[in-house]
Amino acid sequence: MAKVKIATVWLDCCSGCHMSFLDIDEAIIGVAEQLEFTRCPITDIKEFSPVDVGIVEGAVSTTNDEEVLRKLRTNCKILMAWGDCACFGGICTMRNLFDTEDVLKRYYLETESTKGDIIPASEEIPRLLEKVLPINQVVKVDCYVPGCPPSSKAILYAVSELLQGRIPVLPGDMMRFD
Amino acid sequence: MEEITLKINDRQVKGKEGDTVLAVCRANDIYVPTLCHLEGLSDVGACRMCMVEVEGERKPVPACTYPVRNGLVVKTHTEALEKHRRLILELIFTERNHFCMFCEQSGDCELQELAYRYQMDNIRYPYTNPRLPVDSLNDYLVIDHNRCVLCGRCVRACSEVVGIHTLDFGKRGWKTTISADLEQPLGESSCISCGACAQACPTGAIFSKLSLYKGKTSECQQVATVCPLCSVGCELNVLVKDGNLVRIEAPSLEGPRAPLCDRGRFGLLYDERPRITSPLVRDKRGELKERSIGEAIDLATMKLRELKGSIAGIISTRYSNETLSLFHKFMHDVMGSDNIDTLDGKKYRIITEGIRCFRDDGAGLDIECSIEGVLQADCIVVAGADPQRTHPVVGCLIRRAVSQEGAKLIVINSARDVFPLWSNLWLRPEVGSEQILFEGLTKILMDKGLTRRENTPAELAAVLSDCALDEVDRITGVEIRDLEAAVNMYGEAKRGIIIYGDELLDRNAPALVNSLLRLASLTGNQIDEKLGVISLKPYTNSRGGWELGIAAGEIQADNVRGAYLVLDDEQLDEKLVEQLKSLDFIVVQASYQSSATSVADIVLPSPIWSERQGGEYVSLDGRTGKSQQLLQPRKGMLQFEEVLARLTKNLGH
Repeated sequence: MAKVKIATVWLDCCSGCHMSFLDIDEAIIGVAEQLEFTRCPITDIKEFSPVDVGIVEGAVSTTNDEEVLRKLRTNCKILMAWGDCACFGGICTMRNLFDTEDVLKRYYLETESTKGDIIPASEEIPRLLEKVLPINQVVKVDCYVPGCPPSSKAILYAVSELLQGRIPVLPGDMMRFD
Repeated sequence: MEEITLKINDRQVKGKEGDTVLAVCRANDIYVPTLCHLEGLSDVGACRMCMVEVEGERKPVPACTYPVRNGLVVKTHTEALEKHRRLILELIFTERNHFCMFCEQSGDCELQELAYRYQMDNIRYPYTNPRLPVDSLNDYLVIDHNRCVLCGRCVRACSEVVGIHTLDFGKRGWKTTISADLEQPLGESSCISCGACAQACPTGAIFSKLSLYKGKTSECQQVATVCPLCSVGCELNVLVKDGNLVRIEAPSLEGPRAPLCDRGRFGLLYDERPRITSPLVRDKRGELKERSIGEAIDLATMKLRELKGSIAGIISTRYSNETLSLFHKFMHDVMGSDNIDTLDGKKYRIITEGIRCFRDDGAGLDIECSIEGVLQADCIVVAGADPQRTHPVVGCLIRRAVSQEGAKLIVINSARDVFPLWSNLWLRPEVGSEQILFEGLTKILMDKGLTRRENTPAELAAVLSDCALDEVDRITGVEIRDLEAAVNMYGEAKRGIIIYGDELLDRNAPALVNSLLRLASLTGNQIDEKLGVISLKPYTNSRGGWELGIAAGEIQADNVRGAYLVLDDEQLDEKLVEQLKSLDFIVVQASYQSSATSVADIVLPSPIWSERQGGEYVSLDGRTGKSQQLLQPRKGMLQFEEVLARLTKNLGH
């Protein structure tokens, strides 16, 4: 049987959900045999190619996040939101309480540990969106695995369902928002 | 009440007239999700989670406010309802900050639990991202409006359970937030920091600073015990984790004993007073020096052996019946002394002597009604007491009776109106003239013909001889007009109640208690077939100690050369300290430093309330509660029982 091709991206996030793949312990060996990672932060491949499943960690916070997300969407059959930030916006949405300019000012100019006196800006630096969004407000999402990070049970359940050709719907007792 | 038969989810069930659909569902183990409903509070149908379909109704109806009737056909879990509930949850989550990963209450949150149950793995609607204040000015409580779902449980707990109504909804519509008084910070409002709102809050919107990140409910052991503070003797549900007190809650918000006070809920968790942790023995230079417990007990043994038969014992009624009895037995059997009293024994003797003069049938404190009676009262007289300060839960019940049941409130107090926002009338007698005031009130009551039982000739004689009416206003300084107003309110009430306390007892006059009881009995007012009178006793087990007979008589000073005091944190009055100073030897067992420990020759550390062995406590109205040991005593500290056992053994018994 051909391996299931997977691409993962991390947007505005802490990368903890990617790390948490390891929480499934030895089960990862069996899973790895059936998967092939194309673009992901670990392979460091930047290009998108068509895959079966796209997995997104993180919320949509910058123009770059938006572009990466849209590209992944067009290149995958099933798109999975991975973790609270992707599903709901999560901790990144804290900045939604402030104007983006105030956020940048605070970060680059005012923080006690800051030395610089400019807010970096160039065409190559992605701009902050006005609000941080969960990914389903930008593209169509097929399934969700919330958690900060998702529990190992939930991870294994979701991956196993996908490998068996089903769209995972997480039961309530595997769900967690923290 | 009429029994009602209805059908819920094709099942025939029974309910009573006046039940709601929700109540019948709960009684029949039919799950209906709720968020704004809480046992003990009225139902308002705010959250719409409990919507059910009722045959014949055009739209779903909230189960929590829909009354049952015969033949009702209810469906609780149709596909449409379940979809509707998930939609409500999603909308609640979009309204404010409901991100659990940085919420202290995550894991203890009803909103989160519902979202799990409804498998809410995404939200289909845009967030509103409002930026709302966090109010943390109160000593114990934080209100984070960003986490609030406006269920109103705190508002109802504040007014219905605590009777203070500090919290309510402020602003309108989209901008509604919970508001303390008129949008004041909680710490500057009329809030009494009792924490009922935090217990009622289903989310992380109102929480206690003292319990932050100490542990989730599921990680804690829950222990039922008795509050060690005042004589109301509230039942506490204490959450304990890894040898720490995490949180103190009321067992439920239902019923008259639901409220707790700030000291019971929070003060007990936050005690920074220096404890006595090591035995202290006074050395030759007169200074208290640390010694081992073995040495201290051996020294105490030597001294006590010399003092057999000439020692007095005083014990605090913060201790359980078991401890009090043990001490009594030790003093009698081992020390050969019946010279024993409780620290508050004097108050007991004033109250019981007053009762005995009034009704000499041995009923004693049993003639008084229970504090539940306050809620039934239609007129409350608070005489020489400040329940909101000394017995805050009684204060809650008084406020509830006034605000919910429309009871009239009369304050008799020489210094101040102790219920300034609530009282209908404040009588301000000159200090020491309270008895004349009661006599005057009684006289007016008789003159107006408002007595509901025959006066005995002796009573008439007593009242009339002591009291010429025109003298009353001169002596008490209270105008006749006010006296008459008081009599009209109290005399015409059907279930009047008089609550009296420290300031009257400080007058040291059983006759004053007697005149108060006579006034109460002449109105014929009864609550649960008892006299509408409550005396506020000082400590959590005052009544228990008194009824064990420990406080039967005063300490006889002659032939006393030593004293054994068992205290918690109490300060002794100066007179007693002076008397103690003249003795040869004083041993004090106590938890905290006090005027007693400063004159002691030997100080033995005593575990504090949470570390003591469990035992029985009798509340001011005679209810027996059982306390439990929550924590281990500090290292090297012995339980009181163990100390007495060692002394008994050493002294050859």
